[in-house]
Amino acid sequence: MLSRRDFVKGGVALVSIGTTANSLLKGAVAFAAQNPALAQASSGKILVLVQLAGGNDFTNTLVPYADPAYYAARPTLGTPAETLLKLDDSAALAPQLTGLKGLWDEGRVAFVRGVGYPNQNYSHFKSMAIWEAGDPELKLDHGWLGRTLDSMESEAHDPFFGFNAGGSTPPALRSEHVPVTAVANPNDFGFRERGQAVQPTAARSSTLMKLYEEYPANSPFGVLLETTAETAVSASTSLAAVHQAYVPAVEYPDSSFASGLKLIAETIAGGLGIRVGHVTLGGFDTHTNQQEDHPALLQTLDEGLTAFYRDLAAHGRADDVVVATWTEFSRRVEENANGSTDHGSAGGMIVLGNGVQRGIYGDQPSLTNLIDRGNLLYTVDFRSVYATLIEKWLGVPSSDLMGQQWPTLPIFRAA
Amino acid sequence: MPVDEEPVARPEKTPGFLQRRSTRRAVVMGTAGIAAAGATAAVIGLTAEGGAASPVSGDVERTALLSTTPAAPATPRPSSTAVVTDARLRAAHLLRRAGFGGSLAEIEEFAGLSREEAVSQLVDFDQVDNSALDARITAANFQLTYTASARGQLIADMQKWWLTRMAYTARPLEERLTLIWHSLLTSQISKIGGQRASWMVWQNELFRKHAAGRFDDLVQAVAKDPAMMMYLDSVESSKEHPNENFPRELMELYTMGEGNYSEDDVRESARAFTGWRLSRPPFLSREERAKLSDAERLERQMEIISTYRPDFVFDAREHDSGEKTFLGKTGMFNGEDIIAIIMEQAATGRYVCARLWSELAYADPEPELIERFEGVWKNSGHSIREVVRAILLSDEFYSERAYRGKVRSPVELLVGLVRGTEIDLSRDVAIAGGAARTGRSNFYSGMDQVLFEPPNVAGWAGGTGWLSSSTFFARANFLDEFLFPRGRGVVTFPALAGLPADAMVSAAADRLVDGDLAAASRTAISVLVDGIRNPDERAATAVYLVAASPEFQLI
Repeated sequence: MLSRRDFVKGGVALVSIGTTANSLLKGAVAFAAQNPALAQASSGKILVLVQLAGGNDFTNTLVPYADPAYYAARPTLGTPAETLLKLDDSAALAPQLTGLKGLWDEGRVAFVRGVGYPNQNYSHFKSMAIWEAGDPELKLDHGWLGRTLDSMESEAHDPFFGFNAGGSTPPALRSEHVPVTAVANPNDFGFRERGQAVQPTAARSSTLMKLYEEYPANSPFGVLLETTAETAVSASTSLAAVHQAYVPAVEYPDSSFASGLKLIAETIAGGLGIRVGHVTLGGFDTHTNQQEDHPALLQTLDEGLTAFYRDLAAHGRADDVVVATWTEFSRRVEENANGSTDHGSAGGMIVLGNGVQRGIYGDQPSLTNLIDRGNLLYTVDFRSVYATLIEKWLGVPSSDLMGQQWPTLPIFRAA
Repeated sequence: MPVDEEPVARPEKTPGFLQRRSTRRAVVMGTAGIAAAGATAAVIGLTAEGGAASPVSGDVERTALLSTTPAAPATPRPSSTAVVTDARLRAAHLLRRAGFGGSLAEIEEFAGLSREEAVSQLVDFDQVDNSALDARITAANFQLTYTASARGQLIADMQKWWLTRMAYTARPLEERLTLIWHSLLTSQISKIGGQRASWMVWQNELFRKHAAGRFDDLVQAVAKDPAMMMYLDSVESSKEHPNENFPRELMELYTMGEGNYSEDDVRESARAFTGWRLSRPPFLSREERAKLSDAERLERQMEIISTYRPDFVFDAREHDSGEKTFLGKTGMFNGEDIIAIIMEQAATGRYVCARLWSELAYADPEPELIERFEGVWKNSGHSIREVVRAILLSDEFYSERAYRGKVRSPVELLVGLVRGTEIDLSRDVAIAGGAARTGRSNFYSGMDQVLFEPPNVAGWAGGTGWLSSSTFFARANFLDEFLFPRGRGVVTFPALAGLPADAMVSAAADRLVDGDLAAASRTAISVLVDGIRNPDERAATAVYLVAASPEFQLI
């Protein structure tokens, strides 16, 4: 009988959900049958997802300033037209998004408006789960990025293939075969003995790793425990080498969001084999204090994304990377009693990178013809955007991953 | 694409081949058990062809709380009908789940009891004398109130206070349920604010007081709890501007689950909770203000805020007393009425029973299993105690699917270690707030479970989510910091220190992992500790390795 290590070494191991030896065998079969041309064809393109957790108010991000209904619905929250950064005669960016405006002027940014799904759910957790699964029915297995990683998995597995700059594995990246690395703080990402950082070859640490190797694969959570330990140690070793050598080309702002992006830039510049990265910026649930909080959040977003792009450009990697933002929903059109906004529906996505075809995609949902007592009717299904990112950027067929073929959007330049 | 495409219908039928293996495993368990300390324990590991599938993932554990069916994991599970028969394993399992784990003596004691006696001893805890814990808490003199001079210590001390309770209580289920309610009926200290940190302590005491009572009383009480009222904005909800935050989370996360109410129900119930306020702390008198400098005045005002315990106040002028239609009923409802209506919903019984089962046994339970507990819920007038009793008495609770069927949370990692190895925490070991003690990063928060600060209103998702490459190191390094604190001696284990290496490893395994450690793992640990001269360092190293082992990461 093959050992679990054989599977793991072959790059096939279940991590997100516990498994049996039986399904591992199937995994190995599937692995062998996989088309190796896929990984080749996609030639190292990298997708970085930025989660704006809490429900970003896209109406105040990309503002439909020419529509009087906007100011009518938001007497205190409406951003004065003269402060906005105009993109065309109907849409303008919030004043804080100066970096993105600069990148727009350089032709590197796309905005997708009216992104949502049928029967909008207004619960953070349910709607987040829908976006993470890429399925409003929640019937597709694992996360949409995890499924994508599974389909791109190649023989030489890199621990940073799927990577979250943060402490846990985001549900969107949960996969069947690909162990996803999560790093909250690179300085704590390794063993300590008596408080001192040590190599995994140190006596006690290597003994501990032996316990994980010896843990029977068919015991409860056997594969999860061993792959977690092995991924952690192998990722720690590669990151340590890169972390020493990496010098950012720009000064990143002082936010944990920017630190996360910097860490992703480090893994890209260091050649750690990252294909999908994920980082989260939270705090967008602006039921109160939106007038102060939302501009500050947009500024954090703008400064982080701009620094990230400029750093990658300086390292000669900007052609390989696309950033896309997502959020579980936007917010109600009309401001609430606190001059803020409650949970809403269709939002928008920002896509940034040298491969992007500049433009505003998707129709602006009507601000007056509303659904569910004051919410926007979506004009673009989020699965179309996902299919576009998967097919047109990562170069992987999307229909199996998304349950059906969704129409793609022309947001990337022709190769 | 996922490879295992065959959809698993639920309730699942366990494939026959798995059942046979399950039976075999149960037999193995039945004959092995925990060897006495010092003796070589039998290895309960599984043979290569035997054994069971890994249980379900953490995301399922969370989404199981939602009414919609999440994507079912496409792998077979360990049997929920094959039962662990060995008395000591059953006792150890019961003590781990209803509490945080037992000492060898407690496991021995519980192994000698009938199932009913053992469960009653845990569930009927009101009569259990807890004076030794009270004395320990008093002696520790934890700082639980904000003062400007010691604010850095406050939250760390609050966490130590509670962890000490969990570690030394004679009523383990009381603390277990308190933790369950903290993660269900959440509040986050970051939103309450450091000066009002005591509010979180009071909320914690409220959870303890109502831990095993009627669920209705618990929810009615927490709805008027100051920390909750601030956390979910009840204090801002007025007739003119009803705030939906509390009523929405009340229904979605705290009681019924998403899908059992409409957006109209949210809006209507929000009107019913309007006018709920908290009494305000007194202002400094004019004379007093005149005597103080600006800095002193601020300090004094802060002191008043931090020690003031607000009362619930109903402000009729801010309350919308009109007619509301909620979940099919119409009336001039107030907030209490809304909660009473929610309590009568079948969805609430189902949700709470499923939650208790998931916390105590395993995630994503079979619906027909939960139906049994819904019956207990109804017949007992929504008694938490009776539902928990029924859960702990059920065969499925002792099934192979439940035994080691959950990933150990960081709190369970620490408290299980302390209880299993009988560490005396009265000495100054870092059990929380590592940053404050060491100036280094806080390994405790790195494990992703900071008491009084759940990640969001849904609480800790738990399950396999506790394990990532990042938390893997955080857990190991927390154990390092805990057992080998810098600048102080290692934590001592008198019961282990004098033993030869093999026996020491066995003793540690008996105390922490039911004597179940792979043979090669025992050898590896023995070889390492055999090379360490100092007996205390040997023991601490053996305990570190067993506590960081894969076996101990499960509960």
